[in-house]
Amino acid sequence: MSDDASARLYQALVNQDAAAAISVIEQVRGASSDTGTLFESLFAPAMSLLGGAWAAGTIDEYTFTQAAVVAEQIGSFVMPSSTAQDTGVTVLLGTMHRDHHSIDRNIIAAALKEAGHRVIDLGADVRPAEFLERLDETGARIVIVCAQMMATARSILRVREMFLTGGVDDAVILVSGGPFAADKTLARTVGANGVISGAESALKLVSRAARDLRKAGRIS
Amino acid sequence: MTGRSQQVALAEGLARQGHIQPAVEACYQALRIDDADPLVHCLLAHLMLEGDFYDEAIEAATRAIEIDPDCSPAYLALGLAYDRRGGMWDQSILVWHELAEVVPDLVTAHVQLGEAFSAAAFDEEAIDAWRKALELDPHKARAMYNLAIAALRKEGVATALPGFRKAGELDPSQDDFFFALAGIKDDGNPAPDPEDVEEDRESRLEAAGALAFEEDFFSAAEVIRWIFDEDHDDADALALSAYLYIKQEAINEAMACALRALSINKRTRTAIYCLGVTFSKRPGLNEHAARVFGALAKSSPDEPIPHVLHAEALLGLQKFSRAETAYQTAIRLDPACVRARFGLAAVFFTEGRHAEAMWEIRRAAYHDTRRQGLFWDLYDAYTEGSA
Repeated sequence: MSDDASARLYQALVNQDAAAAISVIEQVRGASSDTGTLFESLFAPAMSLLGGAWAAGTIDEYTFTQAAVVAEQIGSFVMPSSTAQDTGVTVLLGTMHRDHHSIDRNIIAAALKEAGHRVIDLGADVRPAEFLERLDETGARIVIVCAQMMATARSILRVREMFLTGGVDDAVILVSGGPFAADKTLARTVGANGVISGAESALKLVSRAARDLRKAGRIS
Repeated sequence: MTGRSQQVALAEGLARQGHIQPAVEACYQALRIDDADPLVHCLLAHLMLEGDFYDEAIEAATRAIEIDPDCSPAYLALGLAYDRRGGMWDQSILVWHELAEVVPDLVTAHVQLGEAFSAAAFDEEAIDAWRKALELDPHKARAMYNLAIAALRKEGVATALPGFRKAGELDPSQDDFFFALAGIKDDGNPAPDPEDVEEDRESRLEAAGALAFEEDFFSAAEVIRWIFDEDHDDADALALSAYLYIKQEAINEAMACALRALSINKRTRTAIYCLGVTFSKRPGLNEHAARVFGALAKSSPDEPIPHVLHAEALLGLQKFSRAETAYQTAIRLDPACVRARFGLAAVFFTEGRHAEAMWEIRRAAYHDTRRQGLFWDLYDAYTEGSA
């Protein structure tokens, strides 16, 4: 990217001309720059010029402040979005029937949403039949079932059985909760495909499951 | 209650100097003379707490309260002993509630009450207590950290992170770090009048730093302008300007100054710090903030704050295990770093490690209350009030 574009953006900022600033950005964007690159190669050098001009006294304090206001207005054009792009992956999430623990589920749901997944949070105390109903409704193929008590963790087997009874044999069930950390064999016993041990682990396992399901043509 | 006996005064003097063992012995001597003196019992409770003898602290503080139900330092010692011992949340709630009644404007009592409520799973009551603490003192960082943790448990990291950063700004350690980078030390002398500053660059920069330290941003900016009149490419002065703008919430101006400083000298660490702070104010620039603070942490490996700032940026990127490593590094460097302890607690919550998270919050409370020296404030107020 040319220094010229940064100089023109700087001038637009100093002139308090947001339209001209956006026009410079759009011209540069047309030359195939993504937003992250735009920030580093266009916006940051222009801001550096602005700081230099203020220090040198080329522009006064008022102009500096007004230019900063325009920089704020055009920020969304040059700064990467704070939310991730939609991955197109739908994840069904809920805490097992008779279990009311919610903290881990809330954190996992928020992390997956933040990463761009479409999360359907069924809440706490979810019956196996409800998992199946919502699976059918949404077409989701990744289900996360949380359980914090041994009895409710064991009963996750009923979710797998319900899916099989309903003719769904390609759903990925991921489980989360203390009992699965305490007993490493429990997940397999209840028919789970993987154990989530926290938000980061949820992000990794869901991405892996989505990749495998895509490869198998189960999701688009 | 009668005035302090000679033996109590001796115990108190030793305790204030941190001579725990002789102070405990003096307390026992004083109790042999008068075992109904609440001052001695609460002093003993405090000493036992300092030595991590929680059961003994509970016993002594309880006795002090039995003798005088208005003995506020004894409530503090009792509440802290319950909290540090763990597993006594019901009693802890009662004690903090009582202390908040006895000393209604004691902010820490409300913060501790909230933490006791939270540990006992009364989440809404906990939030109310922390809000009350912030009403009393809007700069109470620990109340804000706790609210951020509460937001994390309900709505995840993205909602909690601004709270962590806001709390971090209330925490003076971040400003202290900037001034350490800038080589500005509090020598106890007031900052000079701008008109009295020598007309050389070093004197002006030092004076501007001192004025910024005293939060006289207008005068600091005036002195910096004189530096620019001589040389407008002074990277250190630009970085200090960036800091002044950050303090006034003028983030774009700060970013412009920091970027300019780094274009002149890319090793200006104060500018790197300021740039990182401006990036961290923009959620879309978390990755940039992580890069900048990562570099700062590498260049200041023995300082905890850059590791904390790096960890917070990593939290924003949902890189929790890397954030944990950065927080652990900060805690290794400064075990009393409350901000790092709360951050680490947040990471533990994301991993379902609730017990470890609660432990970190308790350690944060431990260090925060020790740092405040609250016991002596209450003790002095109590002795003055009852003399």
